[in-house]
Amino acid sequence: MRSRDLGGFWAGLLVAGVVLWSLITTDVELSRLLSAGPRIADFLGRMFPPDPTIMDEIWKGSAETLRIAILGTLGAVFFSVPLGILASETMVSAAVHRPVRTVLAFIRAIPLILVAMLMVGAVGLGPLPGIIAVAFHATGMLAKFYAEAIDGVSRAPIAALESAGAGPLLRLRYAIWPQMAPVVARDTIFRFELNLRESLILGIVGAGGIGFYIQTYVRSFQYDKAASVTIAVVIMVIAIEGINVALRRRFA
Amino acid sequence: MMQNAIHIDDLSFGHHGAEQRAIDQISLNIAAGECVALLGPSGAGKTTLLTLLDGRLRDWQGRVSVLGTPFEPTRALPVAKRADTGFIFQEFALVERSTVMRNVLNGRLGRMPSWRALLGHVSKSDMDIARSTLSDCGIADLADRRVDSLSGGQRQRVAIARCLAQEPKLIFADEPVSNLDPSRAADILTLLTSAAQARGATTVFSSHQPELARRFADRIIGMRNGRIVFDVATRDLTDDATAALYDDTDPASGARLKVVS
Repeated sequence: MRSRDLGGFWAGLLVAGVVLWSLITTDVELSRLLSAGPRIADFLGRMFPPDPTIMDEIWKGSAETLRIAILGTLGAVFFSVPLGILASETMVSAAVHRPVRTVLAFIRAIPLILVAMLMVGAVGLGPLPGIIAVAFHATGMLAKFYAEAIDGVSRAPIAALESAGAGPLLRLRYAIWPQMAPVVARDTIFRFELNLRESLILGIVGAGGIGFYIQTYVRSFQYDKAASVTIAVVIMVIAIEGINVALRRRFA
Repeated sequence: MMQNAIHIDDLSFGHHGAEQRAIDQISLNIAAGECVALLGPSGAGKTTLLTLLDGRLRDWQGRVSVLGTPFEPTRALPVAKRADTGFIFQEFALVERSTVMRNVLNGRLGRMPSWRALLGHVSKSDMDIARSTLSDCGIADLADRRVDSLSGGQRQRVAIARCLAQEPKLIFADEPVSNLDPSRAADILTLLTSAAQARGATTVFSSHQPELARRFADRIIGMRNGRIVFDVATRDLTDDATAALYDDTDPASGARLKVVS
């Protein structure tokens, strides 16, 4: 066997081992899966027809989720601009951008739902903890994207402005920004879409938005109402994705 | 007494980790108002020398002073002191997504108060200078076009306009026409050298084409392997000297037997 084939063999063995370990050590019983069928059918039956009388709640919840995503994204942009500059190789020395990148990696590693729970504890129920949580969580990714956008531009125009006597901020403004603007727009819109998707569940921990209603209706066995909310969520996600795709085509 | 625009004494520079020095013990004076060509094959050290004289390199040895300012070997020239020297880049180095006008105004950034420039404020005098350099370069009608919609020749005119808008006392041009076809190349060098002359600016341009150097420079400095091989008034340049510059077999010309392709 050639060494490359051998590598493939070991990789396969490793994957098989990991899967087997997961199956054996987890309580996966086929009988439980089989008995779940009728119950799921029962749920679906009770979800149908969806209850259309809760349009007010749906509008209210959707609008709040949208507001959380918009303000959360705005907050993330606000913090990501300076942090992105401080995380870029082009703008600052390694002594600055390395620690800043490490901090951003930590921020990214903390799940949104955890931040939301902490924020609910800190500032109380409602959309405010949701907005703070989204802004915090999204900054970890967006600042990294901005830094990469800065570092990804062509260097020659930066050198040209440096040669003309322009300082670092002027180079950022007139050599780097025009080159990175479409990337920033694309990344920000992408992050907004993620923020909207992720903030749908914030209501479950009391951090505002439409998730609150899903939580309430499922817990109180009002599956027809939960179905209506779910449909609203799906429509909202598809609509945002459509807008995103259209916008991205414009910036391409 | 003639004032030196550039004074170089025993200058050496090696790129980090490179075996051979990019610049090897060069001494040189260039008087104010001269138009000098650096002639030599690629890899001769022309770009390195120009970049160093533009104040953008550090960790070299020797003494350099440009426009009366002595350079410090250990650090690049402070940005605030760079406005008096203009640089025209081989690959134009324009901001592709910005307009021609914006690119030319970028040449004025070193002359504007920083906070005003950051806010996007352009004074009337800056605007007037940008407009007049655009028309000097024959591209007044392109002012509002984005650079990424221009041809190579048009881009080089924008790059020259940006440099002239800077109102430099000294102009460095790194292979300004190597990307252009021969007839365009002559047009561009005519534009550059006559604009520099009209403004009383000292000009140093590099080229690997002897005929262009002969036609446009008062003085030609031949470089090879980081050393100066000859330094003569244009009328004194012999064909033998030029040939030796590009000869890969003659040990006398290059001092070192490195084959330069």
